Amino acid sequence: MDFIDYYKVLGVDKKASTEEIKKAYRKLARKYHPDLNPNDPEAEKNFKHVNEANEVLSDPSKRRKYDEYGKDWQHAEEFEKAKRSRSQKGQQQNTSGYTYSRSGGSAQDFSDFFESMFGGGSPGFGSAGQRVRFRGQDYNAELQLSLMDVYTTQKQTLTVNGKNIRLTIPAGIEDGQTIKIKGYGGSGIEGGPDGDLYITFSITNNTSFKRDGANLYKTVEIPLVKAVLGGETQVETLTGKVKLKIAAGTDNGTKVKLKGKGFPQYKKEGQFGDLYLTYTVKIPKNLTQEQKSLFESLEKTNLT
Amino acid sequence: MKEEQYISVKTFCERHGVVESFVYSMYEYEILQLEYDKDQGKLLVEDLPLLEKMVRLHNELDINPEGIQAIYHLLDQVKSLQQEVASLKKKLDTLQ
Repeated sequence: MDFIDYYKVLGVDKKASTEEIKKAYRKLARKYHPDLNPNDPEAEKNFKHVNEANEVLSDPSKRRKYDEYGKDWQHAEEFEKAKRSRSQKGQQQNTSGYTYSRSGGSAQDFSDFFESMFGGGSPGFGSAGQRVRFRGQDYNAELQLSLMDVYTTQKQTLTVNGKNIRLTIPAGIEDGQTIKIKGYGGSGIEGGPDGDLYITFSITNNTSFKRDGANLYKTVEIPLVKAVLGGETQVETLTGKVKLKIAAGTDNGTKVKLKGKGFPQYKKEGQFGDLYLTYTVKIPKNLTQEQKSLFESLEKTNLT
Repeated sequence: MKEEQYISVKTFCERHGVVESFVYSMYEYEILQLEYDKDQGKLLVEDLPLLEKMVRLHNELDINPEGIQAIYHLLDQVKSLQQEVASLKKKLDTLQ
């Protein structure tokens, strides 16, 4: 657990007045507020630090204790006692606390350093404790699946906060896609509606295919002779091998589209994207003497 | 059943400590929808997360309704740009 210099966080001097602290805090809060920085974990982290610094420095008694014991918190026995009593108090405060995190509990928004010194807190903008949450908190969860898992529609049961959720994951769901499950977030307060659960899918691709939406891409090597003379080759698709004809004179980089051999289209049952193959012509190495002679003979024909 | 999908503007404002005119200005700026029942404004429950976000910006950052309208449109643009960047990154990945 590292010491956090709250003065540094707010960019103020140790002798800064309450007004200066408030001003510095407001400035940084506007810069890092999560509502103004969507999908920016770095801003959210900074905002929490700024919030925490303000929580301590704007409260004269906390500021005094921080100034006195801050750096030596590990050796302050008296502090430990105080911490225990505050910790209990803090837990009570948290029940009506207000949090900017859309995913965590209120106390979790503070650093370990803060928790060890002050116990739980009432995060937010000073007046936070007076606010009553009306709608339950939204929860965020991540579900990891493989590409092959999402090739077919899946049924899974998840347990979130003690509630079992039977989830149908439609085939073709995208990496990073988020679905909302209404009413499975935190409980509403004083009759308010429950929050929602947001599940973001993290899809790992361990296949040789690259995916872009419902289309798949793959590079296929073909021997030089086959590229020149034409022939057949077997190509692996997600549903098995297919035999393909290679036209005589196939260039390196030639693209072939296999219609309907791609990935399932999201929420369009029975519809599939396409598979795009790019041929790369393999230049033979380590020729035998006979093969070398044949190439030399070929060269003499002035073939271009 | 239908009643459960709405919350009166008055109740919302009491809970969140904002004046009713704030909610009506959000409606005027087309940030949210309102229904009326005997001259009483009602909010769609689905709009609550968005409105709560606007209340936070108003209360915590001292941003006035005009500023919130501008932020609302800019955040909309940020969101679509983020989606575009993500999709372009994926395309770039498939080309590499």
